[in-house]
Amino acid sequence: MKERFKKILAVSLAGAMAAGVLAGCGGSGGTASSSAADTNTSASSASSGSSQTSGAVKEVSVWHYFEHEAQALEKVAEDYNSSQDKIHITCTYVSREELMKQYTIGAVSGELPDIGMVDSPDMASYISLGVFEDIDDQLQEWGELDKFYAGPLSSCMDSEGKLHGLPNNSNCLALLCNMDILNAAGVDTPPTTWDEFYEVCKKTTDAANSVYGFAMSAIGNEEGTFQYIPWLYSTGADVTTLDSEGAAKSLDFLGQLVSEGLMSKEVVNWGQGDALNAFAAGKAAMVESGTWQIAQFDSGDVELNCKYKYALLPKDKENASVIGGENFGVCAGTEAKDECVDFLKYMMTAQNNADWCETAGKLPVRSDAAELKDFWTADERYAVFNEAMNSAVARGPHESWPTISEAIYTAEQAALLGEKSGTDAMAEAVAVVNPILEEVPIAAVK
Amino acid sequence: MSIAAKKRLEGYGFIAPGFLYVLLVLGYPLVYNIILSFKNVDVKTFASGTSKFVGFANYIELFHDPTFLLVLKNTFVFTIACLAIQFTLGFLLALLFSQKFTFAGPIRGLVLVAYMMPMSVTAMLGKNMFGVTEGVINDLLMKIGLINAPVEWLVSSSTAMIAVIAVNCWVGIPFNMLLLTSGLTGISQDVYESASLDGANKFQRFFYITLPLMKSSILAVLMLGFIYTFKAFDLMFIMTSGGPLNSTDVLGTYAYTLSFTKYEFSQGSAAALVLFCCLFVIGLFYLRLTTKEDD
Amino acid sequence: MDGKIETSLKTKGGRSNFGKCVIAVLVAIIFLFPLYWLLSMSFKTDGESFGKLVTYYPHSFTLEPWIKNFSDKDFLLSLKNSILIAILSMTISIGFGVPTAYGMGRYKVPGSKSFLLTFLVTQMLPASLMLTPMYLIFNKVGLLGTYLGPALAISSGSIPFIVITLRPYFKGIPVSLDDAARIDGCGVIRSFLSIMIPAIKTGVITVIVISFLNGWNDLAYSMTFNVKPEMRPLTANIFKFQSKYGTKWNCIMAYGAILVIPVVLLFVFLQKYIVGGLTAGAVKE
Repeated sequence: MKERFKKILAVSLAGAMAAGVLAGCGGSGGTASSSAADTNTSASSASSGSSQTSGAVKEVSVWHYFEHEAQALEKVAEDYNSSQDKIHITCTYVSREELMKQYTIGAVSGELPDIGMVDSPDMASYISLGVFEDIDDQLQEWGELDKFYAGPLSSCMDSEGKLHGLPNNSNCLALLCNMDILNAAGVDTPPTTWDEFYEVCKKTTDAANSVYGFAMSAIGNEEGTFQYIPWLYSTGADVTTLDSEGAAKSLDFLGQLVSEGLMSKEVVNWGQGDALNAFAAGKAAMVESGTWQIAQFDSGDVELNCKYKYALLPKDKENASVIGGENFGVCAGTEAKDECVDFLKYMMTAQNNADWCETAGKLPVRSDAAELKDFWTADERYAVFNEAMNSAVARGPHESWPTISEAIYTAEQAALLGEKSGTDAMAEAVAVVNPILEEVPIAAVK
Repeated sequence: MSIAAKKRLEGYGFIAPGFLYVLLVLGYPLVYNIILSFKNVDVKTFASGTSKFVGFANYIELFHDPTFLLVLKNTFVFTIACLAIQFTLGFLLALLFSQKFTFAGPIRGLVLVAYMMPMSVTAMLGKNMFGVTEGVINDLLMKIGLINAPVEWLVSSSTAMIAVIAVNCWVGIPFNMLLLTSGLTGISQDVYESASLDGANKFQRFFYITLPLMKSSILAVLMLGFIYTFKAFDLMFIMTSGGPLNSTDVLGTYAYTLSFTKYEFSQGSAAALVLFCCLFVIGLFYLRLTTKEDD
Repeated sequence: MDGKIETSLKTKGGRSNFGKCVIAVLVAIIFLFPLYWLLSMSFKTDGESFGKLVTYYPHSFTLEPWIKNFSDKDFLLSLKNSILIAILSMTISIGFGVPTAYGMGRYKVPGSKSFLLTFLVTQMLPASLMLTPMYLIFNKVGLLGTYLGPALAISSGSIPFIVITLRPYFKGIPVSLDDAARIDGCGVIRSFLSIMIPAIKTGVITVIVISFLNGWNDLAYSMTFNVKPEMRPLTANIFKFQSKYGTKWNCIMAYGAILVIPVVLLFVFLQKYIVGGLTAGAVKE
């Protein structure tokens, strides 16, 4: 009977081992190229490196969530790889949601890529979590930081103003109008003020054919906050004064668009791409549109079968837009910090930033890059965004931005759905946001 | 060694590999999260390493948060509604398809496809079908004449939950049917035949023979159904992101957002553990019922 | 077998058969409509899939969404990954789960209550709670970036499922079968493999299908433990179409259809076995 037990044990062990061996085979192909293996090899080459310093090529992994821009990024990496023989860059696409999760887990486990891309308002949180290395000294030595625009650069700083990365590109929001619909409604030029805008919405809304005057994204995530910020700032309010009259007014104004049927209630579930799709399908006469979307029209990814025109977003008291964009940071624990910084500098020279932004359809983050080409002034669509940039505000930087942002989009949704008045909705947001800002104010960089 | 001891050893031999496996892979995460939930790890204290034990502070804070209370309510509403619908309809379908008729086999197979689809695809499909203007559900309902104007399914905080429940039941009914059919076919036909001879009618046969004989299958199905529904995540995450206004936010999505969007790691763990504790209580209840039946 | 079905149809009478067929067809229509919708959307143009009017079949039929998916260079790689992960996790789950279910179902051992509770408990852990600590373990033992990592994680969910579903099956096997096996001189293992498992074929096939699907449908684990694009399964790529492009319904639906089709084929194939197993059982009785 003991033997029988042994038999059972042996069989189950054999089964376990077989499963293990099988798995090992399946996995081995991947392990060879996994990041764990990479760090091992680079660690071992570092210890025995003295004998073969010239031959060793450092592998640097870059994670990003660029979609149509990916090819342009790959090209920058290839050019860099062939420009020298010490460092090899490999770019990996990871979807935005997934990348954020990886940073969060990476903060705990220490498993991170060498260089990571991040949406600018999220960077401050990740810096706090220790995801990105302090590379301030190396960047100061570089001597080109004064060429960068202050807003985007500030989003790469920690609370003491130390840089943990470099901004890569900027974008902002403007008003995109379907001129066919506007003209048919007797409107010749895009609206410039809220009053005009409201009138145009009224004239262009055609409920019978389910055409709305306006579409935007008011979804319950960062995109929703992003698209709302211009409306907030246009009234003269800002994130620190959500309890002001202006803040409530901005919500009531947008809420009115919905309640009067000038904007679809569905915007609370629409991402920016969804709002654009509605516009492209002729279901909205105007849409709040971002710089990156121009490239999608030109590549045919989004088909616009109408005459269209960009204009600044309509203003209440002052013109306002919002800065978006991506940053690249050097991740904590990398074995190739210097090499990473070297690549970042290469990627962000004036010429390279200009080239890349032109191919990818972005706004450069360096003033001297913008001067290199007339791309951003010659194309009247980009010219509008260039102008909007002057009044575009940054989100944060603040380590608790995700929480602040949630409070803002929640208030917006409550107002749009008609569940709360602007004042009441904002009162709830203030209860969340103000204590956070009292503890750690938003770093004041203009 | 006695025969009983030998039998016991055999039993352990069969049980051990699977048991140890699960214990190893899942034990650590549980302990890890329990510890985390009693600390104050968030974006501020994480990197500085200044986190400390705070006792039940995270749990107390959770239960004072109106959003969390709403989430808790949503989770129970969602679970109970789904369970009631999918079990009842699943059982009826199982009864239907356990009989022999011309299309029984193929159709049962086809219905099961709903259950086999990846949740991410199902949720996307649900998002599309429940659209207000471009959604086919509204269009169909209007064509039939059940409604006059489009229902604002995923847009309104009062109807979003209904849509999410409907999609979940579309998946859950076949799941219930599959497990219950297996249970039904395990009942020997002889039992029914002798009952018919005794003059029992259909309903009597169902309540006095089918139900008691299927008790363990039914309990298992309800238990598993409760667990999977209660910790739902993918469906809301993709279909509504928990919105609008947290109306479809459940414990699974809420805990995820705390940990991975707001970096409130300790709070996220606490919320996930509340979810776990609710299920644990249900699990104990189930165990009492099944072991009673064992004795 | 066939003769048996025919006679049962005759005895039950044509009318009741017809009624059941009608109900079954109605049920099928309700449950299959979303699938029809999935397919129909996948053949629509961008404009039609997001148009103002709801169309019940593609008015301007196009294969573009399918071509777009299939011309994606990562597609075949992802397909391979999905299959590998699903088969691997299925093998592990069955290898560990079925013996355990047998042990729990047919042996009275002290502590079986707490074993069952443990298995139940493991089903209760929400995914968000598992990701970080599992990542830490896999990192330590070098399982990140392998197929084994996600497969192990998925199996940890499938094994308890198998135990909980199969335990009642094993329990339901009449004791006479044990005795028969003993008289035949079967060893414990042989009796388990060649008598007990075939006796509950239906249940075993069910858990095989479900543990395969758990692997095939997995998203969170595979993506968290395998970031490299060449390691990612099909489910992961569906998010490519969301984000900045907006929801491209036709492409997403085509992708969904591609994910569903192999599973349907597999199941239609196995369905025969399940039905066969049932009839075989009936004949024996």
